[in-house]
Amino acid sequence: MPKRKDIKKILIIGSGPIIISQACEFDYSGTQACKALREEGYEIVLVNSNPATIMTDPDMSDRTYIEPITPEVVELIIKKERPDALLPTLGGQTGLNIGAILAKRGVLERYGVEMIGANYKVISKSEDRKLFREAMRGIGLDVPKSGLAYSIQEARKVAREIGFPLIIRPSFTLGGTGGGVAYNIDEFEEIAARGLDSSLINEILIEESVIGWKEYELEVMRDKNDNVVIVCSIENVDPMGVHTGDSITVAPAQTLTDREYQKMRDAAIKIIREVGVETGGSNIQFAVNPEDGRMVVIEMNPRVSRSSALASKATGFPIAKIAAKLAVGYTLDEIPNDITKETPACFEPTIDYCVVKIPRFTFEKFPGTDPTLTTSMKSVGEVMAIGRTFKEALQKGLRSLEIGLDGLADPPGVSSLSSNDLIQKLIIPNAERMLYIGCALRKGMAVSKVSDLTKIDPWFIENIKEIIEIEKKIKDFTRKGVKNIPASVLREAKQCGFSDSQLARLLDTDEIFIRKMRKEKKIRPVYKLVDTCAAEFEAYTPYFYSTYEMEDEA
Amino acid sequence: MDKKKIMILGGGPNRIGQGIEFDYCCVQAAFALKEDGYEVIMVNCNPETVSTDYDTSDKLYFEPLTVEDVLNIYDKEKPGGVIVQFGGQTPLNIAKDLMQEGVPIIGTSPESIDRAEDRKKFSQLIQKLNLRQPPNGTGMSFSEARRIAKKIGYPVLVRPSYVLGGRAMEIVYDESSLEQYMREAVDVSPDHPVLIDKFIEEAIEVDIDAVADGERCVIGGIMEHIEEAGVHSGDSSCSLPPYTLSREIIERLKKQTYALARELQVVGLINIQCAIKDNEIYILEVNPRASRTVPFVGKATGVPLAKIATKVMVGKKLTSLGFTREKEIKHIAVKEAVFPFVRFPGVDIILGPEMRSTGEVMGISDNFGIAFAKAQMGAGLSLPLGGNVFISVADKDKPSIIPIAKELQSLGFKIIATSGTASVLKKNGIEVKAVKKIAEGRPHVEDYIKNGEIQLILNTPIGKGPKFDEYRIRREATIRQIPIITTIPGARAAVDGIKAMKTGKLQVKPLQEYHQP
Repeated sequence: MPKRKDIKKILIIGSGPIIISQACEFDYSGTQACKALREEGYEIVLVNSNPATIMTDPDMSDRTYIEPITPEVVELIIKKERPDALLPTLGGQTGLNIGAILAKRGVLERYGVEMIGANYKVISKSEDRKLFREAMRGIGLDVPKSGLAYSIQEARKVAREIGFPLIIRPSFTLGGTGGGVAYNIDEFEEIAARGLDSSLINEILIEESVIGWKEYELEVMRDKNDNVVIVCSIENVDPMGVHTGDSITVAPAQTLTDREYQKMRDAAIKIIREVGVETGGSNIQFAVNPEDGRMVVIEMNPRVSRSSALASKATGFPIAKIAAKLAVGYTLDEIPNDITKETPACFEPTIDYCVVKIPRFTFEKFPGTDPTLTTSMKSVGEVMAIGRTFKEALQKGLRSLEIGLDGLADPPGVSSLSSNDLIQKLIIPNAERMLYIGCALRKGMAVSKVSDLTKIDPWFIENIKEIIEIEKKIKDFTRKGVKNIPASVLREAKQCGFSDSQLARLLDTDEIFIRKMRKEKKIRPVYKLVDTCAAEFEAYTPYFYSTYEMEDEA
Repeated sequence: MDKKKIMILGGGPNRIGQGIEFDYCCVQAAFALKEDGYEVIMVNCNPETVSTDYDTSDKLYFEPLTVEDVLNIYDKEKPGGVIVQFGGQTPLNIAKDLMQEGVPIIGTSPESIDRAEDRKKFSQLIQKLNLRQPPNGTGMSFSEARRIAKKIGYPVLVRPSYVLGGRAMEIVYDESSLEQYMREAVDVSPDHPVLIDKFIEEAIEVDIDAVADGERCVIGGIMEHIEEAGVHSGDSSCSLPPYTLSREIIERLKKQTYALARELQVVGLINIQCAIKDNEIYILEVNPRASRTVPFVGKATGVPLAKIATKVMVGKKLTSLGFTREKEIKHIAVKEAVFPFVRFPGVDIILGPEMRSTGEVMGISDNFGIAFAKAQMGAGLSLPLGGNVFISVADKDKPSIIPIAKELQSLGFKIIATSGTASVLKKNGIEVKAVKKIAEGRPHVEDYIKNGEIQLILNTPIGKGPKFDEYRIRREATIRQIPIITTIPGARAAVDGIKAMKTGKLQVKPLQEYHQP
């Protein structure tokens, strides 16, 4: 079906200022949407209060409003511009909320504006916890047990029904304030009271704790002909209990069996259909109990999200651009894939590499605050690294962070750390946990023990152990003589993501020396393509990552 | 080497002090180069950005921004030039090493950047041009730092050398605080000296962004900060064009900018921060590279500064680009910073020299008041048009708060204050309801805030260090999203905003109309 001709002018809502949990990924998605829709000949009206964005450059849309994103102001813009349609799914939660309010207040109806990409019903069904839970149960999917309470008495009753540990989430607060985890009745009473107090409608949700379960996300897209594609699966290295934005994540998922993955895929497809997203992308989060494999649905965002930006970069599949095209009536089989030019967007991306995302924190700016990672996001940025293996991508990611790391290394102050302190650093999620895991393994702690303490899947820990083993192998040559390192050992280290400066540190020499030696031994990186199709088709958009193999694709 | 191939180094992960602004500059650079027929290679490792969209450049390398990884790409691609000016501190940190390996850095030379960033060379530069900077010194040890501070006189601004975003920067008012700072915040050594500057109190701070081609320098925008000097430039709100500076001062600012650009042989962007006190201009910082305010200037004036700078860096002249004098605008744009305090319980929200904002918004209008009010609204803290305002200010600010309180009263606000401030206001004929401090029993001010009886808070901190009462008030206001203003100039601007909103009508207008020639 071709694009819609009954709409000519489209209003896009941006996400406003960069805040923690809503950052420049929405500039990326908004910019893509503006470009994609203008390409199709639509007139674009944009509102975003953030002048630092690329999307607010006057060249990006026809009418650029750098104005506050409030329902009142957006109404003024609608009144002035009279757009035919409103696309609220690219501006994060801000865009979606404003769209929903304008629909609810009848503003859209009054000015004859159609909401595209997601409608009010879809937004309510995914955002309202109760409606979402019922919808999931209706299609036979499991969700964490939960109940709402409006008073301490009700809260106690719900707590008795579900059993400890429990998560308490106050409704309608900003920044997840007032919530927490309770392991006993005393803690519960305290957190529930605080939560009721901080909720503007005095409502708290009490939920079965899935802390420590494995966390996954699927990026799903659907068109109006009911075609569905899974763009990418993402696995959180840090288990449930740490906000996805604060978690190290990996794409594609690494520790699911094929059977488990297929089950999750099927569930995701059912969910996007049930919630009713007809033209666009969604992010769906799952938790899996490592003990018995029980899978529950955590939440769904019927919009472009932080994870979809990551999934786009990880696969080369431009989710925001395609979401914009779906919203104006195209179907997945009609949209060509820019990278291959011959496959359509209904071909699911295949990736033959591993992607790792690592968050970047700035706790040093906020002395006095608790640096524990929780369900409320605290990171201010992130890096992504691509490698042929998890090990390579992880180490490249660590050195991309610009926090003084050249790869996996000991965290500062580790020499004075007691073994008890180390155990605490493994149990309590923190920004440097990956480094403490390395530290524990160096000290000889068993993989199973580390996994047990951190609740991180043993597969990841095993990989870190392999890095540590190479570290040891390299270090041996400080004794045997740096010049005696065989090319094979050096190559193996490079394949596992070791940087020259990291090798120099281990060998007590300098980076320039290692670089020279490496070049002499003809160990140079090759560049591979991110092409959405694991090299099955030719790629036209050169998008590269380095690795240490034989064949160069650049 | 391919002359028509240019490599742009991106900004890496976002952090406080280096965010989306630098991605904006890198993307503009890519677009500008593509326009002129160059092949553009982008290197970055931040998945959130537009620069890492495969559509932005001709070739994208999703790689760490380290010397090793960038050199490898350089060896492979052999571009004719590498741009390090746009990605914030990230590419600058590796620029010297890259140059040593023969990588051709284009635009302002890293030596010039170093001349502006190295304190000693910077002082020589200022002296050579007969400009002024606050008296300062560099301390390699605590005793040396103490000696310098004594010589130039307190208060002083102290910080470690070479940082972006003002990390561990502090204003200290006496020797014991200096000692505490040296003990807790920095690890001072000859390799890591501390910089000590005289802190000029109650000065107006100004940011200037300009572009130069080695011969000519043109101003992009002059921004007057609303908060006084001492608040990090990334955290303060500002107005473009300046809203209180005299024409004479503005002319002098321009001349000094031209002189600095000429002396540093700037090819590309330059940002200057200065403080103005008693009609004197003190140069605080010169950054011959893209600054955080470049996109704001672009949106406020309609001049794509980063694009122009890029074209200059590959050899075009400003004259041939048709940008020979600054653009005069009739409207006013106000930038306001947005903070993450709600996510960090236990942190005081008082603004200082250490940057803590994560983002920014802009308000644009034909008058300052509305533009300021829009900026507040965009930041999620709309100014109230009526109700109760709670005032609690430091003694030194009491004279300045009187006219502000009077104005608020005439705008229909009821004034609430604790005893000290209340008695001063009463003496000056202002009707005030006195409320109890937290330590004075119930109901106290926090109860009023919690009960939603306070719509606006004006609170300048009493001296240094968080006082218990004040801190709780600020915390409560943050959680409940009650607008709280912590500086006197900020309070004045808020009154302007409220007045404008009460008399005028909120109107919206797209940039395309503001920038019509």
